[in-house]
Amino acid sequence: MVNYLVVLFAITLIYFASAERLINYIRLIGLQGILLCGIAIFELKEINTANLIFIASESLIFKAILIPYLLTRIIKRSGVTKVHRLAIPAFYTIIFSIIALLISVGLAYSLINSFVNTIYMAIALYTLFTGLLLIVTHKLIISHLIGFLIVENAVFLFSLSIGNEMPMLINIGILLDIFVGVLILGFFGLRLKPHTNELTMLKD
Amino acid sequence: MALLLFFILSALMSISIVLLKNKTITRFISLGYALMHIWFTVYCWTHLNKTELNYFTYNSMGVLLLSVLSLLAIPTLYHGFIYTSAATVKRYNIYHAALIALMTFMSGAYLANGMTVLWIFVEATTLAVAALIYHDRTEMALEATWKYVFICSTGIALAYLGILFLGFIYGRKDASNLSFTSLSDIINQANPLYLKLAFVFVLIGFSTKMGLFPMHTVTIDAHSVAPPPISALISTTLMNVGFLAIFRVYTLFASSSILPFMNNVLILSGILSLLIAAGTMLKAKHLKRMLAYSSLENMGLVSIALGIGGTGYYAALLLIILHSFAKSSLFYQMGQLSRILHTFKLDNCGQYMRLYPAGALVLLTGMICILAIPPSGLFISEFMIFKGLVFNNKWFILITAIVLLCFVIYGMSTRILHIVFSNPLEESGMGLPDKINPVETTSQFVLLGIVISMCFYQPPFLVDLINQSFILLPK
Repeated sequence: MVNYLVVLFAITLIYFASAERLINYIRLIGLQGILLCGIAIFELKEINTANLIFIASESLIFKAILIPYLLTRIIKRSGVTKVHRLAIPAFYTIIFSIIALLISVGLAYSLINSFVNTIYMAIALYTLFTGLLLIVTHKLIISHLIGFLIVENAVFLFSLSIGNEMPMLINIGILLDIFVGVLILGFFGLRLKPHTNELTMLKD
Repeated sequence: MALLLFFILSALMSISIVLLKNKTITRFISLGYALMHIWFTVYCWTHLNKTELNYFTYNSMGVLLLSVLSLLAIPTLYHGFIYTSAATVKRYNIYHAALIALMTFMSGAYLANGMTVLWIFVEATTLAVAALIYHDRTEMALEATWKYVFICSTGIALAYLGILFLGFIYGRKDASNLSFTSLSDIINQANPLYLKLAFVFVLIGFSTKMGLFPMHTVTIDAHSVAPPPISALISTTLMNVGFLAIFRVYTLFASSSILPFMNNVLILSGILSLLIAAGTMLKAKHLKRMLAYSSLENMGLVSIALGIGGTGYYAALLLIILHSFAKSSLFYQMGQLSRILHTFKLDNCGQYMRLYPAGALVLLTGMICILAIPPSGLFISEFMIFKGLVFNNKWFILITAIVLLCFVIYGMSTRILHIVFSNPLEESGMGLPDKINPVETTSQFVLLGIVISMCFYQPPFLVDLINQSFILLPK
């Protein structure tokens, strides 16, 4: 079951490469949150129940519900609907995404370890590369934020793979959500405009 | 118990500043905090290598960097009082509460004896710094804050991946806190590829704090907007936090087969940092950004020093300490310069010697110190780095570094000499200069005095502590 969910998670990443509307990005982020919740429930069989409930509910409430809701409000308020890439057409982004997947699989097989699931490792690496690719190839700062959310999901997936042995690492990794909160606060409380193409006031 | 007391009192002080809403009380509490920090540092010196609360150890390196922070605490608070004097009570209190939080988080990071605790404190410093950068509430401050939080978050997430790779090395063994001591026992049995990946992730991640290539941009933008006393901390003690995190992992892996790999990566990162610093220094038009590029250059040298090993270790630590004193004094001076010239734009600056001779003297002395020109103590460390490069037959690195340093020296000295002696290229039209009592500059002279005195005499207790810091590293 876990493997099915992990593969489904990988499919959402491929869809990220081809999506062109912000609302799709947000839906995918929400879907990833649900999948991560499912993976946590099926994978973390050896940790205590209270901790499992905390991890599962955190990923469901924060990653799958709250963040997508806030992001939707941001794009509704600003009227920005489409993502703008930095001169890279969708076709090439998909090619990059596939290359990232192949590299991830190659790297995961060279990192075979008796207690880390290779599929986990490959998909987590692929998630990391997808997040970084999104940050690098996109102009809008809201896309950068979504890129960071994907990187954060990669960290969560990595930590789940050794969650049974070191549950504390999952709990500590959840602290990264504080940053997400601060960055979203930048849009709401501080009136940062998500349609700002680039933050370029600071230069020589 | 002392550590617990320190954390509890720091939290109480920070919270009470926000709640009491009175500038005078804030000043008293802040000064009380600085004195408490000094007391705590003295306590750490007298209890070296003691472990408290399981997760903290008063180790040599941590205590050394904690001492630097203690020495800078009072001047930072003092210049902060002046900088924020015109701010509303709310902003004034948020500034000082965040500053106390930042210094406490940095202290925790210095003394952490495990990767996870260190990481948590590094993450916490980001949040405190964000509140401080946003102090002026301008659009630029907002942009710098968002960029800072965003890039640091990404960096910290990557650093966490490095920590997770350390977790993978452990496997099913009990290692709840990933302490450096417990990790060192199993490092030699680990898959080298895991170690390499962990090191690269940690280096990239924590380079957001150290201000090293490839994540150097974050600190440079933060510098140009942050209040000068905060720039002084970001550029010194906070960079030391990043250095410490990288140094800890480097020390941990030094006994494994990946030592040559780590050295090469550090040297490459150092040279690229120098290259970027030299290139950008030549076109710098903003004074605080210029100082930020200088920090990038110095961190590049520290990275190269670590990479060459041997005498390089001592040189790296000496450079980190002296750079903290020299750079912070220059940033404090930037605060005074902005009160006189009302700008940080190079074209609008000039005739500083006539307008404020004490400040001009700090700029000139600071320039000599930071560029490692004798009698600066930094000269000793840079000389040791070059000596190490010669002994290791790294001639290409040596020549490249020297050429790039020449560009840095040219870029910085021409700009500072212009500010001090030349007329401004453009009139800023920002009104009359403030009157500043030269006594306000005392702390800057004291810090520069320490840097210069280190060229002639390095006290044995300091030398001992530096040597103890890299005792686990191969000679």
